Amino acid sequence: MDIIVVGAGQVGMTIVEALHDEHDVTVVDLDAARLQALSYRYDVRTVAGNGATRRVLQEAGVGEADLMIACTSRDEINLVAAMLAKKLSGGQTIVRTSNPEYIEAWQERQIDVDFMVSSELETAHAVSRTIGVPAAKQTDVFAEGQVQILEFDVPAEDGRESVTGVPLTEAAERAARRSPGGRFAEVVGRPLREARIPPESKVASIIRGERAIVPRGDQAIMPGDRVVVIGSPTAAKEWSRIMARGERPVDDIVVFGAGQTGLAIARVLLTEGIRVRVVEPNPERAREVAEDLSEARVYCATGIDTDFLERERIGQARAAVFAMREDAKNLYAATLARVHGIGFTIAIVHEPVSVEVFERAGIDVAVNPRSVTAEEIVRFAHDPRIRQLAMLEGDRFEILDITVREESKLVRTPFKDLPITGSLIGAIVRDGTAIFPHGDDVLVPGDRAIIFTESRRVPEVEKAL
Amino acid sequence: MARIRRAGRLGTLGVDVGSVLNLVGALLKYLGATFLFPTAVALGYGEPSWPYLAAGAITAATGLLLERGTHGKERVGVREGFLVVALTWLVVPAFGALPYLFADEPQLAGPVNAYFEAMSGFTATGATVLTDIEALDRSLAMWRQFTQWLGGMGIVVLAVAILPRLRVGGRQLFQAELAGPTEVERLSATIRETARRLWILYVGLTAVAIAVLAVIGWTGLDSAMNLYEASAHAFSTLSIGGFSTQEESLAAFGVATQWAVLVFIVVAGVNFLRLYLLLVQGKGRAVANDDEFRLYLAFLVAGGALLLGELLAGGLADGEEAIRQAAFQSVSIMTTTGFVTTDYTTWSPLAELTLLLLMFLGASAGSTGGSIKVVRHLLMFRIIRRELEQTVHREAVVPVRLNRTVVEDRALRGVVTFIVLYIGLFAFGALGLVIDAKQAALDLTSFEALGAAAACLGNVGPAFGFAGPFGSYADFSDSSTGLLTVLMWLGRVEIIPVAVLLTRTYWRA
Repeated sequence: MDIIVVGAGQVGMTIVEALHDEHDVTVVDLDAARLQALSYRYDVRTVAGNGATRRVLQEAGVGEADLMIACTSRDEINLVAAMLAKKLSGGQTIVRTSNPEYIEAWQERQIDVDFMVSSELETAHAVSRTIGVPAAKQTDVFAEGQVQILEFDVPAEDGRESVTGVPLTEAAERAARRSPGGRFAEVVGRPLREARIPPESKVASIIRGERAIVPRGDQAIMPGDRVVVIGSPTAAKEWSRIMARGERPVDDIVVFGAGQTGLAIARVLLTEGIRVRVVEPNPERAREVAEDLSEARVYCATGIDTDFLERERIGQARAAVFAMREDAKNLYAATLARVHGIGFTIAIVHEPVSVEVFERAGIDVAVNPRSVTAEEIVRFAHDPRIRQLAMLEGDRFEILDITVREESKLVRTPFKDLPITGSLIGAIVRDGTAIFPHGDDVLVPGDRAIIFTESRRVPEVEKAL
Repeated sequence: MARIRRAGRLGTLGVDVGSVLNLVGALLKYLGATFLFPTAVALGYGEPSWPYLAAGAITAATGLLLERGTHGKERVGVREGFLVVALTWLVVPAFGALPYLFADEPQLAGPVNAYFEAMSGFTATGATVLTDIEALDRSLAMWRQFTQWLGGMGIVVLAVAILPRLRVGGRQLFQAELAGPTEVERLSATIRETARRLWILYVGLTAVAIAVLAVIGWTGLDSAMNLYEASAHAFSTLSIGGFSTQEESLAAFGVATQWAVLVFIVVAGVNFLRLYLLLVQGKGRAVANDDEFRLYLAFLVAGGALLLGELLAGGLADGEEAIRQAAFQSVSIMTTTGFVTTDYTTWSPLAELTLLLLMFLGASAGSTGGSIKVVRHLLMFRIIRRELEQTVHREAVVPVRLNRTVVEDRALRGVVTFIVLYIGLFAFGALGLVIDAKQAALDLTSFEALGAAAACLGNVGPAFGFAGPFGSYADFSDSSTGLLTVLMWLGRVEIIPVAVLLTRTYWRA
């Protein structure tokens, strides 16, 4: 594959390192000296200049490129580069962003990019996985949030999904070990008709390796699969718990530092139903975050105020995440938190060198946002399965939101008698309320049906309803 | 020397008094036209119409002179807005009192009593110095009712809606008059259009109320009801005023009328902006999910239930009558209407105290009711809860929300300030009444003094003792009446616009 990487910072560097062996990589960056250093280490072509200009992209051979990765630290540069690449080549584009609103717009297909990765969100998911809650990737929301479509990675048999490249101490291993059995075993590994699927939800698709399996009653979810689920917000939370493999959900996590990353972490944990406390020294920012996160308890304090730690019983928290801007502060506060009795500490690192320092100092997990982001991008470039799902709405699957017509021949047919095809009615919205249909429910004209279907069946489905 | 210094001081005055007077003048000019309504009523009933024509002419002429003598500006500033509101509510009742004086009505002979009656009318209070209302001319009684209707939705809001020159600058005025703790929501892109829609809704609801009451009369459900009474009482119902043409207030009418009026009071106590969304745009959720609306209903139900329990326990009434009496009195007093269907002062000390406390609740912000208002109680409760939370968790940052949106600290401080000022005025008002009663050798208990102060400041109307539901404020001395007039004025403008005028920084550049 011909790949162009715009931006040779930490993220770009990690991507180049992972991809340069198998692919033809061209790196674009403003900083010629940085490019020179890069070309000494890896066998890549370099172009010095602004990657958001047509001239530079053409110089980099955008016309022949199969994939363009825009991963500078500036969102708008990345977006412009991707826009140009879309026009100048037939290849795919990946954009790195730090703004969750861009991700939302992208999910709603208002930004024409094949894949969008947010450092903050990836970091938050990584933290969430470390704590033992496999975060669902929410791909879409319908009917004012009453219907959610989520995808989960089903944990493999032998335990946890590793946060690659991050050293783990024994404590982390222990915390990550999950008790076998429980609800997990009642859902995974047995035929769907016998599995105890949470009410108000449906399995829309099971993706195993290269294949997408239509989830009939005799199919089973297996460890290592990726599943797409349609369900209510309550059911979504239950799925998260099941995917945590029966582990008691972690409660009470303290997040130190409420920058972009800290906020994203707090938000992800809250949606998993975990009680979160946030500590932010800047009064202005603390206020903003408190207004934003109505469910979290926000303190305006520093993590090194022992009186505060004592008074608020911070030591009793199950885990603490240190997401302040400076590695040294994170280390200092994490060490202090351990003294106060917090058993499990996770720190966000910004300098690669800190990973080792943190490990020596006894911090349980270190998460590097830049390497997490790079990994996600590399996985997209490598793994077709992820690509399929990322394009859930694009190539292979589509989610349709159709209002049922009076003339439809499926009206008033019980769901259990509907013909089995590659498509599935995940939910219906009747008079503004979402219903997750069972075998005896029937379609009524005027219902909004939310349908998960293979792209080639779209005309068929539209005709039927 | 003195002259120069004075000129210098005037030069640094921070308020454009000229443009304020100009605007008030314009307002008076238009107010002159409203006297045509009682004129028509007087002609219809063959009563002398000259008092209204004369009052209207004087009002319009004064307004015209004031407008000509000063320079107006298109834009009304923040500071000028307060002065316009404070001044309007002081001046308009003065002119509204003219018919009382001209009509040669012995009960309203003195200027103090006439001004009190007019202030009670325009501020939609419902307190009266009349001892025999039925003795009034029909047209004069109707004028009394009509002043309540004019004042209910707000004269300044009406001005914003119709005065051509306030097309752009009405925002400050609107905000200053339709005061609530938070920014006024808009129904449309412009404030003018919003004000206009509020008034259209107000007129529409009044028309519906007149129709309903008139139908009750025509169908014979209530023999005392006719078109005249229907209009008169619809005016003082939708404005949450409480004036009646009858000495016995709503007790003079039948059960059907009482229930119908009760329903319209409850409607008029809802925020009109929300009411518009519900009734005109059909957005039921905007109302049902409103924090204030829910608490308003809860207060109404709780107040009614409390009173009902007291009535039943005391054996004062039973069956439908107990429910109706409890519901009517509690709703009427809580929303600050002031209609009554019975003399509640004969009930029990506990019931009287309950009603006195209900006077402090008020209706919703943006309604035609007065007093502290439900949303301020709601925010005050949340402020206290936050304070307690932060006592335990010193570093906790706890935003106060209303309908899920965060309320700014400034607005919260405004709520606390308002409530403290309100309670302070109530206390000092009552104190003043007691002191003055002693001077005038008037037999006034401290509870009655508290009641009168609360009823006037909250724009409720009837209080306790001789100023009770079937009584009159006539026994108060002139100075007490003056004090109560000031309380009504302060209550209607919601204190702050007047309070800022008393600060030195207001007048400085």
